[in-house]
Amino acid sequence: MNCSDESTYGNKADIISTVEFNHTGELLATGDKGGRVVIFQREQESKNQVHRRGEYNVYSTFQSHEPEFDYLKSLEIEEKINKIRWLPQQNAAYFLLSTNDKTVKLWKVSERDKRPEGYNLKDEEGRLRDPATITTLRVPVLRPMDLMVEATPRRVFANAHTYHINSISVNSDYETYMSADDLRINLWNFEITNQSFNIVDIKPANMEELTEVITAAEFHPHHCNTFVYSSSKGTIRLCDMRASALCDRHTKFFEEPEDPSNRSFFSEIISSISDVKFSHSGRYIMTRDYLTVKVWDLNMENRPIETYQVHDYLRSKLCSLYENDCIFDKFECVWNGSDSVIMTGSYNNFFRMFDRNTKRDVTLEASRENSKPRAILKPRKVCVGGKRRKDEISVDSLDFSKKILHTAWHPSENIIAVAATNNLYIFQDKVN
Amino acid sequence: MEFKLEAHRIVSISLGKIYNSRGQRGGIKLHKNLLVSLVLRSARQVYLSDPCPGLYLAGSPVPPPQPGEPAAGPPAGWGEPPPPAARAAWPEPETPPERPAGPDARRAVDAEPAAPGAGDTLQGGEAAATAEAAWRRAEVPRAAAAGGAGDPAGGADVCPEGPRAAHRPCACPPGGEAGPGALSCAPRPAKDERPVPPPGCPRKRGAAAGDGPADCPAPGSSPLKKPRRHPEEPAGGAAADEEEMETGNVANLISIFGSSFSGLLRKSPAGGREEAEAEESGPEAAEPGQICCDQPVLRDINPWSTAIVAF
Repeated sequence: MNCSDESTYGNKADIISTVEFNHTGELLATGDKGGRVVIFQREQESKNQVHRRGEYNVYSTFQSHEPEFDYLKSLEIEEKINKIRWLPQQNAAYFLLSTNDKTVKLWKVSERDKRPEGYNLKDEEGRLRDPATITTLRVPVLRPMDLMVEATPRRVFANAHTYHINSISVNSDYETYMSADDLRINLWNFEITNQSFNIVDIKPANMEELTEVITAAEFHPHHCNTFVYSSSKGTIRLCDMRASALCDRHTKFFEEPEDPSNRSFFSEIISSISDVKFSHSGRYIMTRDYLTVKVWDLNMENRPIETYQVHDYLRSKLCSLYENDCIFDKFECVWNGSDSVIMTGSYNNFFRMFDRNTKRDVTLEASRENSKPRAILKPRKVCVGGKRRKDEISVDSLDFSKKILHTAWHPSENIIAVAATNNLYIFQDKVN
Repeated sequence: MEFKLEAHRIVSISLGKIYNSRGQRGGIKLHKNLLVSLVLRSARQVYLSDPCPGLYLAGSPVPPPQPGEPAAGPPAGWGEPPPPAARAAWPEPETPPERPAGPDARRAVDAEPAAPGAGDTLQGGEAAATAEAAWRRAEVPRAAAAGGAGDPAGGADVCPEGPRAAHRPCACPPGGEAGPGALSCAPRPAKDERPVPPPGCPRKRGAAAGDGPADCPAPGSSPLKKPRRHPEEPAGGAAADEEEMETGNVANLISIFGSSFSGLLRKSPAGGREEAEAEESGPEAAEPGQICCDQPVLRDINPWSTAIVAF
């Protein structure tokens, strides 16, 4: 990264729970624990303000989900937005899917910059006029107004998931999408809200035999019949919907044999995959487990082609991380537009980038103290043992409450969005 | 020995997590609790596999556990040992040189050195004090349990060297009394498909499922008393008890929770699929509220017992 521009999401109350660029990178959506969605829009480049080129400013804010109570089960349903996925733009309006634990919603975000004026039966404030006072008729006209961005829920896809939704993924046919919970994956048509197809069901007949859950799922970027889902056991299954209606039998099964020398009480936890992402090319998938990021070739099921250690120094601290629940943190991972660099988050507001070609990696920090606007991000280093150099941080000084779980990469440019608890950092690589 | 301490601590922490998860907003997280249960199982296995004479209260002599792992294949459910591939991958210097292919055969092989001579073998392993040895020993109790015969007790809960000396704080009646009163005994009748019956199940079922599950032959009066014997072991405090290491209580807890977290409040087998969802173990069910609400008996149990029941 050469330079950085920083926008800070100032609301301290809510923790960002998902970040997603749209397909052009013009919009950036964030969801938070309070059920709100905030959309940022990139400013158009202008000759007048060269330095403000490409800044992201708030475009729209709306409450997507509210807390609900399931009376039948005496369960509260959190309003936290688990995932946001954009639909490709097909007209002037933008569409996105947002989901909490139970309900997926399709939102339409559109602009309004004109409003009708000159009604006959209503006055300017909207109050009804006494018809007896109307003596002339006029035709209402559209007059320009300040730009207003409004978000309206167009579809609500509810009551299809018994367990907690962890993923949604828009199909490349742009007509369907899938939603995945711990045990099932459902296929929806955007137009139909009262039914969905169940395409994966790993719930055992006897729940006592449950050994793994679905942790993430995604459609192939080009093949609308193909999708993958990852499991808590560290495996990935690729399924072809043409094979059968219920894709319980996978087409491909990706699993790396466990390294017995690394066995511990927590081996199972750290092998649970927290995120799976297809490369833009569709040839690779990337998975994130607690300590590593792995790149898999779709044509090779028995092991990944690349493995990157994100923070292996935590391997000796798994017990403490288990105690403070950090070991359950679900980190996401992202590809850059050309699939040459992958990025994922860590603790202490660190995030890591791995260049697949040069095999170089860098650790950067998202924090206000260390990042001034247009300052260059300085690489960070964690000292594992022995002597700590001046700029290094020792493992024991890491702040585990500052975790970067959600990051996003612009689809074509070197712009990244990093969510650090309740702050959003946007970094741009400006080549002068 | 340090493995036992570590395991003990992890068991306590895990129990605390599962208990606390019942109250969290949004319902119990199936994924997290599944992972916690896996850790709990692993820690428990290590804990039990370490022979420590003081740990095992010689209560009434208890018959050796039921052959929990017949040729029916690997036991299903929570008690399932790691997949054979992973296990085979672990270096196992202490097992007999011939290594049969299938997990069952393997367990049968393990059972022989494990059962009577387990003490010596395990002592040796302990002296080695390697994680691998600990994990190996974790395998042994299951096998030992498999090698035992008779009482349908939770196999994995019993120290291999002492199915007879077993920590049976619940004073499980010998001879196959499969009542829910047997905390450490599996009340499940033979028809149950799970080869290693969860010791904790029957009591939970008996306690929570007021009407008594069909597959729990004995009335559930005594189980209610069992958890109350250890009210002094709160979820959080257990972690702090490392130094004192109330081994008796921990052993009880381990036996209570058994080798699985299943069979929660199984009202009746005829419940059907929906009920099967509801009756799945507390942390794993997405509907814990439903389970707790449905069981009036739960209100009478102290919080710690309730955790066990819901577990």
